Amino acid sequence: MQYSPVLIDHFRNPRNAGIMRTPDGVGEGESKECMDLVRFHLRVRDGQVVEARFQAYGCGPTIAAASAATEVATGCALEALLEVPAARVEAAVGGLPETRRHAAEVAALALRAAARDALNRMVTRSGRHA
Amino acid sequence: MNRRVYLDHNASTPVHPEVVEAMLPYFSERFGNPSSVHGFGREAREGLETAREQVAHFLRVGKEEIVFTSGGTESDNLAIKGVAMGRRRGHVITSKIEHHAVLRAVQSLETLGFEATYLDVDGDGLVDPEAVRRAIRPDTVLISVMHANSEVGTIQPVGEIGAIARQHGIPLHVDAVQTFGKAPLDLHALDIDLLSFSGHKIYGPKGVAGLYIRKGTKMVSVQHGGEHERRRRAGTENVAGIVGLGRAVEIRGRDMAEEAGRLTALRDRLWEGIRARVPDVRLSGHPTRRLPGTCNICFRHVESESIVLGLDLKGIGVSAGSACTSGNVEPSYVLVAMGVPVEWAMGAVRHSLGRCTTAEDIDYVVESTVPLVARLRSAMPVRA
Repeated sequence: MQYSPVLIDHFRNPRNAGIMRTPDGVGEGESKECMDLVRFHLRVRDGQVVEARFQAYGCGPTIAAASAATEVATGCALEALLEVPAARVEAAVGGLPETRRHAAEVAALALRAAARDALNRMVTRSGRHA
Repeated sequence: MNRRVYLDHNASTPVHPEVVEAMLPYFSERFGNPSSVHGFGREAREGLETAREQVAHFLRVGKEEIVFTSGGTESDNLAIKGVAMGRRRGHVITSKIEHHAVLRAVQSLETLGFEATYLDVDGDGLVDPEAVRRAIRPDTVLISVMHANSEVGTIQPVGEIGAIARQHGIPLHVDAVQTFGKAPLDLHALDIDLLSFSGHKIYGPKGVAGLYIRKGTKMVSVQHGGEHERRRRAGTENVAGIVGLGRAVEIRGRDMAEEAGRLTALRDRLWEGIRARVPDVRLSGHPTRRLPGTCNICFRHVESESIVLGLDLKGIGVSAGSACTSGNVEPSYVLVAMGVPVEWAMGAVRHSLGRCTTAEDIDYVVESTVPLVARLRSAMPVRA
């Protein structure tokens, strides 16, 4: 299986791996078929992601895609992340072989879930303050 | 530049330099068709028959009992279909952990009206000979059990199964692709009627293999054409490949015993090195009745493909126990049959050592595996 140098770099040196204390949003993506699981923790300021961390169980491309997705998310508005496509994550790892596209899909799914969770918390907080 | 360590010898082996040397004349000098009557053909025929003698001598059987084929898969298909189809209908016994060449050959017989029993194995991967006895029916036409499993290396009690088969007058086929040339095989003591073996697992070339067929075994050919291989396998023989197989077998006869001891020690060094430094690991396969160079380790809660990729980046070639294809991951059917829990089976990595493996290689693999697994686990989410 031939992987891009970018993917290999993310796998070898994962960015933002691990968990975060008191995150503003948490989301998971899971593939039932391949049993991969990706989870993101987001720190948000003024509706924008300022920090993202990941945890991942899966093949090398899934770990690399989760790492790259933290860089995609950082600096991004939550609203925009709600619809982040798998293609965006795939591009961030320099492309994926056909049989490993699920890696980007699971990461994008988790990212969208984390953004949704962060927005829901913001709404809940603002409702509480009103 | 990384060091390069190949620990996937159960998949294939590098061709021995002496084998290459033996093969070379048969590409351009002794290139004739061994079925031709002229001198060119006779030269090729001579190489072919010398190889047959080398294999027969190694197995201590008659040379007329050796048929050359194109690979272990063809040998298994010839043995299983050849024996069964000679009976038209009947029942076949095999195990759940056979190579796909055996399992799918038996499944193909089922589509033709044959019936099959797939025997369970125990936690070490062993077939119970008494289960074989219990599965025998009046219409059982064949028993096919592998000698050693390619994934976990467990060596089956073939002698006991052979004795049962002999008592009932049922032919026994043994897929010995992983054992041939690595461990001694006494076909008469083991009561084996058909034995599959291959060239590229023993430092010979790919595309060449063979089947031992005990004299008097009733079977039909499954590939039709010319009268090659005593009408048991049609098709012009791969002479250069067969010459290479013959030479490889001769070398194995010389080196096998010494190498088995060395590889057993290295295999155990690998397991002990990893077990001492990586938590949550388990060894799959029988602790002692196992191929000398096979070490299948399950890393709990890590996906085996990520370990294979991580080691590949260190120049190390090992094989994953679970395969991810088109977004589907299946744990190894062998490990599942052995009752290995899925969270362990998903992290199975097979290390298979060979004649060039050194203690330094093993230490490098251990040194590379320890931080890799720690890193993969550090980012692992706990499932809710």
